Amino acid sequence: MKRRTFVQLLAATPLASTIQAKGDATKYKVVTPYKPAAMPGMPGPYPGKVVSVKSAKCLSEDGLKIDGEAVREMMERGMRALAGDAKAIDSWRRFFTPDDVVGIKVNAGGRPWVVSSHEIVAETIRNLTAVGVKPQQIYIYERFQGQLDQVNYAPSLPEGVNIFAAERANARNDNQSYDPRVYVEADFFGEDDTRSNMMRLVSQKLTKIINIPNMKDHGATGATGCLKNIAYGSFSNVARTHHKGVSHTLSFVGTLAAVEPLRSKTVLQIMDGLRGVWHGGPFAPTLKYVFFPRTIMFGTDPVAIDRLLLDVIDDERKRRGAISIWNRDEKTLDFNNGGDRDKDPNVNIIIREPGHVEYAGNLGLGVHDKREIEVKEIEA
Amino acid sequence: MRLGAVAYLFALIALFTGFSAHHQGKQAARYGERAHDPRTIPMVEVQVADARHNLPLIYWTAGIETAEALKRAGIERIAAPPGKTEAWRGAGFKVVAAGQAELERREKLLTPRVAGRADVASATRRPWIDANGWRFARNPAGEYYYDLPQGKAAMAIAEAFAYNADAILKIDPADLAEAGAMFAFIKNLAGEIYLPVADIGVIDDKSPETGEVMNLLARRNLLFSVITAPAPQFRVNIKLGSKEYPRADAGNPSEFAQKIRQRLGDENRSLRVYGTETVICRLTGDGARARLSLLNYSGREVGGLRLRLRGNYGRVEARAFGLGRVEPEDFVTDETATEFSVPRLGIYAVIELKK
Repeated sequence: MKRRTFVQLLAATPLASTIQAKGDATKYKVVTPYKPAAMPGMPGPYPGKVVSVKSAKCLSEDGLKIDGEAVREMMERGMRALAGDAKAIDSWRRFFTPDDVVGIKVNAGGRPWVVSSHEIVAETIRNLTAVGVKPQQIYIYERFQGQLDQVNYAPSLPEGVNIFAAERANARNDNQSYDPRVYVEADFFGEDDTRSNMMRLVSQKLTKIINIPNMKDHGATGATGCLKNIAYGSFSNVARTHHKGVSHTLSFVGTLAAVEPLRSKTVLQIMDGLRGVWHGGPFAPTLKYVFFPRTIMFGTDPVAIDRLLLDVIDDERKRRGAISIWNRDEKTLDFNNGGDRDKDPNVNIIIREPGHVEYAGNLGLGVHDKREIEVKEIEA
Repeated sequence: MRLGAVAYLFALIALFTGFSAHHQGKQAARYGERAHDPRTIPMVEVQVADARHNLPLIYWTAGIETAEALKRAGIERIAAPPGKTEAWRGAGFKVVAAGQAELERREKLLTPRVAGRADVASATRRPWIDANGWRFARNPAGEYYYDLPQGKAAMAIAEAFAYNADAILKIDPADLAEAGAMFAFIKNLAGEIYLPVADIGVIDDKSPETGEVMNLLARRNLLFSVITAPAPQFRVNIKLGSKEYPRADAGNPSEFAQKIRQRLGDENRSLRVYGTETVICRLTGDGARARLSLLNYSGREVGGLRLRLRGNYGRVEARAFGLGRVEPEDFVTDETATEFSVPRLGIYAVIELKK
């Protein structure tokens, strides 16, 4: 393929804070040989549309056990409502054909409590195989092998489904699974390695991607859902965007998500909100900050879903008496000790950037204005 | 004066007499290439007939009864206390006499490694590296000495060799086999001596501050040469204490190095390294050919290291310690640069490039 280079210089609106993401001034150089599809997967055929399916019975009363049957029903009703079909299989066929090589971007970072659940992943794969996609053409993927090992999807999957991690651990010495020809270059804090490369699996092998994020608070982005899961989960060297209380996630999350072919290939968003974490995210090592939305959201527009997610997380924080994800008060900041944040939901380790969702909307990845988002709520 | 120093002096003389341009033209023609314009290349090839790479020396105090162990490791040259040299020579070894006083006379080096030094952490989370390349660059004619803990012999040999330094290494005997393996590796590399490629000239006032600036420049793979006066071939010339570079600015050498980087501009750098923060490189060349030495201080293998070098290189050969020949991957060239990946890197690799 002849190499083409797309260079975009992007700038965001300046922020009104003394501790301020440099994201307003960051210059990005985006290099990719891939062209966008006629209809990129994000925002896809349903911009601004979100189907939210809630079920009281999807979790046990204490929230610890997931009911597979209830999840199956939620998935069926959600997909039908999204695509407007009488049968769920027809909805899945709108997105996938037997020839597709499908990646499922899970989130294993919130192990053990808030990860892409086995039940939703298994039901997704059941539907893909019903469409005719062979298990060997399905890849569950994440960045770090150590996280995938702990979540251990294998027992709930049909034989042949691939489980792939780009790196053994977050140690910055495994680059071979990343595509050196597809990257975003930016200098955030004077780091030496200024490139974030897309996974080769994404750029070279997969034809479609299903994104299965969770409902999570995030110390840098305010909340992490569709956008951050697909962006930071498909590129290398992304942790460099947060440092000493400042985060460049405002502009970087959307910038990465918009890089081809990731943008075109990511055709379906299924947000796992059976459980969520309202503080301390993206991690959930204990139940201390875990809550139970008992919800799954469906859509093709990651911005619309994440816009709703910001309120889900912020409302839960307010309900618990914790500072808002929009709080930019430097007095809340203690970036030297992550442990303090884990102890106290009124401590920030970074001034959060929930504005990353709007930024992504401005890049054309979806609809940010709530007035323009159509939410179809279903009680299963 | 030792041989490497002679070669270096010769190179400096050549740089200012124009000998090099003629000589480089001949070298380039040998490869069927158009001779480069010497005005654009701030370096000179050194081809003194008897100039050879310095090979580091193991300082070995054990008795002649350990000769077999040395031979098994493939080590044929050592430094030994004066009283033992004859016995070693008798056993077939090439020996340089060096007593404790000789070692103490030499400049002692740090153990090359990633060091946990939270107190001197830089503005980013870049790991701190104890590396000696900047010392070699500062004083190529210097004489050096390592006193190494177990596990560091091979890395130190590679480091000294990469900078063509005159170094004696006191190693842990448990490292003998790996040290021998490293000697075997570098033995096949020796022979080509080029001058360093540099984007930055640093005027050395011999102060500790300037030394620390050199350390941090090297740490960031900001290629520099030590000079005595500003030279136009360098994009940036640094003289601490000047109006442009007040001495106080060097109080935070990491920040200072970052400022130099910004002044130089990443797009103008002769070398960029992606995919690791623990590999320090040395680039030498003559405009038509270059040698890139990669020193990985992390102790962990790096996969898919990405390199970008200014200039179009058509032939690239890489050899990595412990791995042999490795095939560079994912070549990309444009008008100004050559990019490729090194699939695997242990502690040391050498890449030979030809235009």
